[in-house]
Amino acid sequence: MSASAGGKDVSAQPTGNSERGNGAGPSARGNGSAPGNGTRGNGATGADVAARPLALLCECAGTMENIDFAALENGLVAADVVRGRHWCGREGQGRLLELMESAAGRRLVFAGCSQDFAARRFHRLLSRGLKMEVADIREGASWVHDGDVPAVTGKAASIIASTIGYPAPSNDTLVREHRENSVLVIGGGVAGTQAACELAQMGHSVHLVERRPFLGGRAARIGTVFPTNDCGQCLPSTDAQAGTRKCFHRNVAIDDPNLQVWRRSTVESVSGGPGDFEVAVRRLPNIVTDACVNCGACESVCPEQASDGASKAIFTEFYDGRVVRTVDLDTCTFCGACVEQCPVQAIDFTQSPERTTVHAGAILTAVGCEPAPEKFINHLGYGHDGVKTQLELAEMLDDWEGQASLGRTPATEVVMVQCAGSRDRQRLPHCSRLCCMIALKHSIRLKTLFPAMKVTICYLEMRTAGAGYENWYLAARRAGVEFLRGTPPEVQFDGEGKPVIEVEDVPAGRKVVLRPDLVVLSAGMVPAIDVERIAQVLNIDLDEDGFIEILDRKNRATETTGEGIFVCGSATGPKALIECNTEASAVASEIHNFLASKGRSCAPASVVQAEKCVGCDVCVAACPFGAISLVERPDDAPRPQEVKDEGKLAVVDAEACHACGICAANCPEMAIAHNLSDDALFGRVSVMTEGVEKPVIGFYCKECAGAAISLSGQQRDAYPTSVRLIELPCLGRVSALHIVAAAKQGAAGVFLAGCAEGRCQFRRGDISAAEQTALAEELLAEAGMDVPLELWHLCAVDRASVGRRIRLFHAKATGNGASAEMLEAEAGLIGAGVSAGACATCSATTAPTGGEPRGDNN
Amino acid sequence: MATTIDASLRQEFARLREECLLCYQCGQCTSSCPNGGDLERGPRRIIRDVQAGEIEAVMSNEDLWRCSECGTCSDVCRMDVDVAAILKRLRALERQYGGQRCPEREAADIAAKRLGKYPRIDNLAFGMTMASKGHVPKDVVGAAGAFTRIVSQTVNARMKAGRAAPEGAPAAAAKPAGPARPFYAGCALPQDADAYRRTHAVAAAIGFNLAETEAAACCGHPSRGTVGSGFTADEPVLTACPACDASLEEAGVQTTPLWEALVDRARRDERPLKAAAESFVPYVGCLVDRERALASLADAAALSGARIELSYPALHAACCGALGGMYRGSSEGARRLLGFAAERRATVVTPCLLCRDNLRSAARRAHLSVPIHFWPEFFSAADAGSAAPTDGDAHD
Repeated sequence: MSASAGGKDVSAQPTGNSERGNGAGPSARGNGSAPGNGTRGNGATGADVAARPLALLCECAGTMENIDFAALENGLVAADVVRGRHWCGREGQGRLLELMESAAGRRLVFAGCSQDFAARRFHRLLSRGLKMEVADIREGASWVHDGDVPAVTGKAASIIASTIGYPAPSNDTLVREHRENSVLVIGGGVAGTQAACELAQMGHSVHLVERRPFLGGRAARIGTVFPTNDCGQCLPSTDAQAGTRKCFHRNVAIDDPNLQVWRRSTVESVSGGPGDFEVAVRRLPNIVTDACVNCGACESVCPEQASDGASKAIFTEFYDGRVVRTVDLDTCTFCGACVEQCPVQAIDFTQSPERTTVHAGAILTAVGCEPAPEKFINHLGYGHDGVKTQLELAEMLDDWEGQASLGRTPATEVVMVQCAGSRDRQRLPHCSRLCCMIALKHSIRLKTLFPAMKVTICYLEMRTAGAGYENWYLAARRAGVEFLRGTPPEVQFDGEGKPVIEVEDVPAGRKVVLRPDLVVLSAGMVPAIDVERIAQVLNIDLDEDGFIEILDRKNRATETTGEGIFVCGSATGPKALIECNTEASAVASEIHNFLASKGRSCAPASVVQAEKCVGCDVCVAACPFGAISLVERPDDAPRPQEVKDEGKLAVVDAEACHACGICAANCPEMAIAHNLSDDALFGRVSVMTEGVEKPVIGFYCKECAGAAISLSGQQRDAYPTSVRLIELPCLGRVSALHIVAAAKQGAAGVFLAGCAEGRCQFRRGDISAAEQTALAEELLAEAGMDVPLELWHLCAVDRASVGRRIRLFHAKATGNGASAEMLEAEAGLIGAGVSAGACATCSATTAPTGGEPRGDNN
Repeated sequence: MATTIDASLRQEFARLREECLLCYQCGQCTSSCPNGGDLERGPRRIIRDVQAGEIEAVMSNEDLWRCSECGTCSDVCRMDVDVAAILKRLRALERQYGGQRCPEREAADIAAKRLGKYPRIDNLAFGMTMASKGHVPKDVVGAAGAFTRIVSQTVNARMKAGRAAPEGAPAAAAKPAGPARPFYAGCALPQDADAYRRTHAVAAAIGFNLAETEAAACCGHPSRGTVGSGFTADEPVLTACPACDASLEEAGVQTTPLWEALVDRARRDERPLKAAAESFVPYVGCLVDRERALASLADAAALSGARIELSYPALHAACCGALGGMYRGSSEGARRLLGFAAERRATVVTPCLLCRDNLRSAARRAHLSVPIHFWPEFFSAADAGSAAPTDGDAHD
């Protein structure tokens, strides 16, 4: 690829013929008070003119003194030039508005400030349809270099030539435009039910799928909850009255006509895609119909026990107001005794399971979590009569309250063991977050009911982070609960079967022996039983603890790794009720936005070139979005010579593709055409390094790293002009070959700046870049080339340090590292404003000829 | 003597520190330590001092030498820190850098310190060694008058043993048929002629042809690591001592506790055992696999018709008082166990000879009249017609 591909086509044409613009405003050369403009053509006319790009040179109101705009204009052969002193000023924007008409159909390339800055300054015109590309010669050149005018002007020329020659595609392709106005919610606990109600109120059609016969989930069944110390069976009411709530059974929100509740139902399979999922739902019959009046006659004649042993095979549980009773289909013998007894003929055994397909634009998983199974707490004597879990204690407390009212004491000493099976690498590594608060709640209740009872909490750390939570800890200490820092490794039993706990009192540094009547284990929570199957059906990821993986814990806390599939509540990890409620409302808004959007906008999808594809599966594995699959190669598709009959062909699903370019970077055959092609990348490297002695190449991602670099530029944190930056849609677009090409073009060093670690918006760009960098290092070593490579993770907070990084890397790449003087100068800059001093640092490394450090003009 | 802290020791500590970075001081190691009740600081504090880089504090911590390397602390650690291995390396470091750090010498110092409090060292074998090395005067070793007797008994036993079976032992029963099973006698058993004879007798009666391994000498007690036995074997070796069991396993030799093998065989052959008393309290010590050893003792109880008193003090791996190989006075756990046995009027039975001696010392100190038997002193083959066991030393 030629170094000046863009220039070559036009180099033969005569230059210098100037053609005035509309005559409005004084001409260029930078000293007019009004925005200058002048168009310089090269004698071409008619169709040729229309085909040539129009470059809008901006002097940024005279702040780019180290660029010789006349030389820049004269040297620019690939485009017609219109110079302006201040394009974003009032008159400049007016002129641009005229150009939108007069130069309609021509490519506009704005050479001035950075893309981000220009986008804000020209926001109004852009929203009125202005299309322009940006060559950043301000933060990318003038403002970050010293007064070496020829060098800075040369760099600005390279940047403009590179932008004109190798344009970046725009991000305005819309995919997945169809958004079905409906939501499928999996899980009818408080989180799922509340989200479903809110979505229904927003006008979306909602299918709420619950595995059990009753809504309300765990929260509705556990008695009182913290921090409010009342029941967990309420939902916000729908009457738009701020601050009101109602129980499930009294709450009409669940009766919203947009909301359809599927009880005893499971999601069996999902097809389709974001915006229009097709979900197969299987529903078991409830047997008891809506006619039930809850008289209990059926239960009194039922001869069978339910599988949990606690109730009859026809039973009632949490009363959510719609379904009163149900039948345990595992133990019911269909004897019909209840049917005969029912006074309202509400029992109908002729119902049968049904399977239905539901269309949903989005899916919400609110599957919750479960108490840790026995195997995680067996080592603490669980299974023995004297050892219970907090959940079991909660149920016992109702009975104990009765005993207390009769003046009886069921136990004299109770020991609670925190982190039972939790925060243990052999059991449950995670913190379940709720157990500390539950122990505090129960211990206070015990001390209230039985003031003489000795209640000890063996803890590791009391984690009481939350609004008002610490007060519970305070109240427990006040109530006389004893806090023993240290947890026992085992619980044993003496001859009478009484628990014996030997535990180190850590702060006191001594072992103590406790002989309580009851040991209560604060066992943790684990993912819902069915979560693995659901994740598989939905094709979403689980995290290392087995909970549903959140796409982005900071900014997208209600999205899963599957587009259009959302999550809320304890499906992502144990959460208190208040957090579940908050998340339910948050996810409802997110889903509303998702359904209301016109589609996902992105750059054009990558395309596999069949004539190069050999059908390996590298791209399939590399794609972070699962957008690539291998298919049988159609007979008429071209194929490379080495591929015989059975060669498969990779195909990119344009709807799923996010156009990150990771596949293209990883393809060993370079068979994938990204919208920023390999030729364009090689071309950019070539243009940017041409004529530069010992250039240092920096590839950077335009997202977080781009923000750091452009903010650093606005602070005028200077670095040498021989550093040449190449912007990418994602650092994952870089392949080892691009790095090697840069080295072959004479680069003294190459750095890659990506987003903060693990924060790539295309998920795996930084990982791919790291792999490609390692590969490039090998290739360079094989070729005997000693070119330093570095991979950086940047985000906007690095704006103050990225300049130093670049200067130090430049010193390392071009010489033997930073000199003592340079380090001294750098040390002086830390914590200070950067501009002037930074230039001094530059002088120390590059010793520019002519020019002097720019004054403080920002 | 003060530890010399130099760069290489600091480096060793930095390495150790990295291994316990994950520790968040839950204290389960100390809670689980069989010696825990008698420790000054316990493993948790040692790990904390390693984290904090307090080299002096770690190196002067006597608790390092109280570790019997049972490994429970490593098993219960929430963060998978191999506490026992760290303690072991610390002991090695202390030997290397601590100047004096010959463990016996150190032991002698500690023992001498205790002499201020207690009139004598009760563990005879240990005391004798100390006396022979001149670390402590002879007259403080053992119960009054016992020293000479014990010396002669031991010397005789050693002379008779001479790394071969003492006379009388194999003769007590007809040499059983069947392939010879390699047997690692260790250091303690041949020193006790009676226990030694009983061991061979019960084994022969049950049908074991014990072939004592020639190379068996000091196993290199696990907590010391000073002596590597260098012993290797291709097939599983029977052992009579949990310390041998543990240290040989560590050296890569497969071992089976003799008592478990005997009980298994007796059960398979439906051969009843004879117990020396109606009921017994099992004590398994810190070095054995507690659950396995207790199960085997329960089987032995079933075969002999004796009642096994399984309750909390017996179930808990409390220390016999050895605190890392040398007797240091009765431990809390030992007192608890002996009290329980006295209350039930039951014999204490242990598969560890060292525990037997230490428990006897502990019983004496606690003024408890509790018979304490080594496994073969309590169980014998029903048809072997073995003599009733002696009640250890004639000191009660």
